[in-house]
Amino acid sequence: MTDSLLRGVEDASRSLEKVLLGKQQQIRLALTCLLSQGHLLIEDLPGMGKTTLAHGLARVLGLEDQRVQFTSDMLPADIIGVSVFEPANGEFRFHAGPVFCQLLLADEINRTTPKTQSALLEAMEEGQVTADGHSYRLPKPFFVIATQNPVTQFGTFPLPESQLDRFLMRISLGYPAPEVERQLLLGGDTRAMLDDLPRSLTPNDLLDIQERCSQVHASSSVIDYLQRLIQFTRDSELFSYGVSPRGGLALLRSARTWAWLDGRTHLVPEDIQQVLEPVIGHRIRPAEEVGSHAGARLVNELLAQVDVLG
Amino acid sequence: MKQLSRAAVIWQLAAFFATLVPHLSWMPFWLIGLCIITPATRLMIHSGRWSLPHWSVKLVLVMAVIGGLLLTFTRETGVRATVALLIAGLALKMIEIYHRRDALVLLYVSLFVSGTAYLFHQSILMALYSLMTTVLIVAALNSIYQDPLRNDWLRPLKRSLRLVGFALPLMLVLFIIFPRIGPLWSVPLNQNAARSGLSDRMAPGDISQLTRSNELAFRATFEGPVPAPQQRYWRSMVYGHYDGRTWTRLPRREQFRLAEVDLVGDSEPLAYEVVYEPSNNPWLVALDQPSAAPSGSFLTKGNAPLRYRPVDRRISYKSSALLDYRLQPDLPEYDRQAYLQLPGENSDPRSRELAERWWRETGGDADTFVRRAFTLFNREFSYTLSPPALSGYRVDGFLFDSRQGFCGHFAGALTFLLRAAGVPSRVVAGYQGGQWNEDEAYLTVRQYDAHAWVEYWQQGRGWIRVDPTAAVAPERVSQQADRLFADDPAFLSDTPMARLRFGSGWMADFQRQLDALNFSWHRWVLNYQGQQMELLKGLLGEVNLARLGLLFFIPFVLVMGVVAWLQLGGRKRSRDPLERALARLLADFQKRGHPRASNETIQAFSQRMSTHFPAMAGELRALAKCDEAVRYAGRPDARKALLAAIAACYRALKSSRAKEKRLT
Repeated sequence: MTDSLLRGVEDASRSLEKVLLGKQQQIRLALTCLLSQGHLLIEDLPGMGKTTLAHGLARVLGLEDQRVQFTSDMLPADIIGVSVFEPANGEFRFHAGPVFCQLLLADEINRTTPKTQSALLEAMEEGQVTADGHSYRLPKPFFVIATQNPVTQFGTFPLPESQLDRFLMRISLGYPAPEVERQLLLGGDTRAMLDDLPRSLTPNDLLDIQERCSQVHASSSVIDYLQRLIQFTRDSELFSYGVSPRGGLALLRSARTWAWLDGRTHLVPEDIQQVLEPVIGHRIRPAEEVGSHAGARLVNELLAQVDVLG
Repeated sequence: MKQLSRAAVIWQLAAFFATLVPHLSWMPFWLIGLCIITPATRLMIHSGRWSLPHWSVKLVLVMAVIGGLLLTFTRETGVRATVALLIAGLALKMIEIYHRRDALVLLYVSLFVSGTAYLFHQSILMALYSLMTTVLIVAALNSIYQDPLRNDWLRPLKRSLRLVGFALPLMLVLFIIFPRIGPLWSVPLNQNAARSGLSDRMAPGDISQLTRSNELAFRATFEGPVPAPQQRYWRSMVYGHYDGRTWTRLPRREQFRLAEVDLVGDSEPLAYEVVYEPSNNPWLVALDQPSAAPSGSFLTKGNAPLRYRPVDRRISYKSSALLDYRLQPDLPEYDRQAYLQLPGENSDPRSRELAERWWRETGGDADTFVRRAFTLFNREFSYTLSPPALSGYRVDGFLFDSRQGFCGHFAGALTFLLRAAGVPSRVVAGYQGGQWNEDEAYLTVRQYDAHAWVEYWQQGRGWIRVDPTAAVAPERVSQQADRLFADDPAFLSDTPMARLRFGSGWMADFQRQLDALNFSWHRWVLNYQGQQMELLKGLLGEVNLARLGLLFFIPFVLVMGVVAWLQLGGRKRSRDPLERALARLLADFQKRGHPRASNETIQAFSQRMSTHFPAMAGELRALAKCDEAVRYAGRPDARKALLAAIAACYRALKSSRAKEKRLT
């Protein structure tokens, strides 16, 4: 049973690699994020394949997806839905918005106003939305994959820390390697390939996997290491603030999934090291502002300074 | 800006206030106000209710403080003005702490200011207090390096206690061997201008002011039998010249011509030691009559001790006294004339007339003359601390009109009468009495024990000491001043707390104990420089710079070594034999030029090493597998296998080195 699930994930991963060439690491991180029941934030310049990755994930995981392109004049009702008066029976009827799906692709989330951004907040954290004083439950599982442009670009509203914290991971795709790019230019239409992607898992499989990942054994040595890492972000002069307890839990959850994807039933420090940057990169801030992507450098510093063995 | 935590702000305030406390007694009121307002402002700023002051506000404050300092300390340029300037600077710095750097300035200057407290007080309590202040300041220093989000209150204090604890042995070493350098500059304390210390002039009324001060004058221990209260006349100055208003020492040109002191005594000299408080004056005290000059001083022609330099810090000296003596049984004509000086021909006519009448009636006998004066004093005069002010012919005014006064009045008047009758005489000023501490066997003499008495000269008998005050108020001489004056409202009127000292019960007892403790502290700690040389000689044989350096260096290295061991070595050594074996293996790899990076697990490290040492790839793989099983997979049963794997790796590494050696 375990094997079939694992094989399903591997199939999904391989399928995605066909549409997103040379990005095995990012694909695996994205899968880890979703399998850990977390929301994913993909941050990169336009045209790097963010949407392709999000669509592909929805396909291979067999999730019913909706896409919302965020613009600066968007209102919360455009996402959540709106109550409309029906003259026929003299009542208001709620017309569900795009948020009612299993995987919501929120494209360019930082192009919209904070008001609309925060409408997503409840959905992400509580799994429900409120409109006109009435709460509506969202389907299960429910994922948000948001993409955003780097904050230095024009016309962006940076996501506040509170909202960044709701994303389990933040990844960026980056430019492809030259030989990969050549392959991409020679290759066919990725859009058509997207539609041909086989569905490798069902929503039920996802819930099973999540159950299995939470059972991965974390020894005290690993927990100590994780704690040392978090403590370092709190004590060190390099950070203006450290990782929150929620950040620590997110790190452990993601590392467990990563270990499970490796076919292991126990955690090793490498699992934490692999997911460290995506999980805490957007939850820390360097003491001195040295550019928007100081996070990666800071995480490298963190890894170099904290001894694995204690 | 690096935010400071709330705890850090509170610690800074605590350090600041602790620094201030020893200075409160002399700080002007406006400065105390400033030192309350600025920390309050700091709190308001920190809590976000107020914003940091505009530069114009700060400018106005600085101008106001400079003005205040100039006005308050116009006639002083000394220590108090300087310390007040520092304190005002500290207070103002409080409201402009933007960066950690600013807090550092505040705390470093606080350390300095807390050191200046020793310029004003040197008791053992002060030493303990300043140690506490140091702990507080170091705690504040610790706290400003604390993460602002980790608002831990006790951690800075704990760390500070540890740091100061480590510093204490070094402090002791420095105390014992650091050379005592004389004061590079003389510190003009100038704080007693208006109230204490003997003066080199005596106008009636002066000493009644003096009596109000309970400040410590000196303390003494005796190496023989303790002299009776009536014998405790501590000689400090001899006034030989009277100008109708003020008694002063004889003019210098006259002093040169006076005969040398000739002291004849049959009894054994009584040796004693005095711990003398700083007075900023050159004169010392010596028990009547000093047979040898205290070290660092000489005896004047009036047989009073005088120091070459003013006493600007607490000193101790040894001297000896003859209680039975004849001082200058022969006096040359010049001296006799000098001690008969009176102002003009016509001053105080009534007194002169009285003296002449008495001289006739007593048949020219000085002793009877003095007894006569004593009888008059005893019957008609009263002793008071607040006599009426005198003007015009002061001796006449005192003898015939006011008829009340203090020792200065009586001594001056009697000397005047004796001189008018043709008997050489002079006023001696100093201290009389003191409080005997039975437990510790020493005498405490305070400024209210200041006294003046009379010496007159008789052929063959020399200078004879008489105390006219004893005639009018014999208790003054046989009792301590504090008992005698206890009911007089003027006595100690400017130091209300001092009255507690003379109460009975545990409070007085406690005071005496504390005083005794302070005395030992002064004798053994503050005056340590005398013993230092002897101690060093005993320790080193010959004192030279190299040995002194070594003596300092060895404890320094020892302390630093202990600190380093605690900080670095002591913690890392693991008890687990497995960890120890692994550490040894890793150290071996490091020696071969392959240190483990701190973010490398044993698995990653083994993998990297197997590319460097392909021959031992198998052992390394086993090591990685066993380590993972024990460390991460929760299988303690694999410990044995891991130990074996480590040993195997160790051996493989050794043999690979041997092979390399053979090849080269």
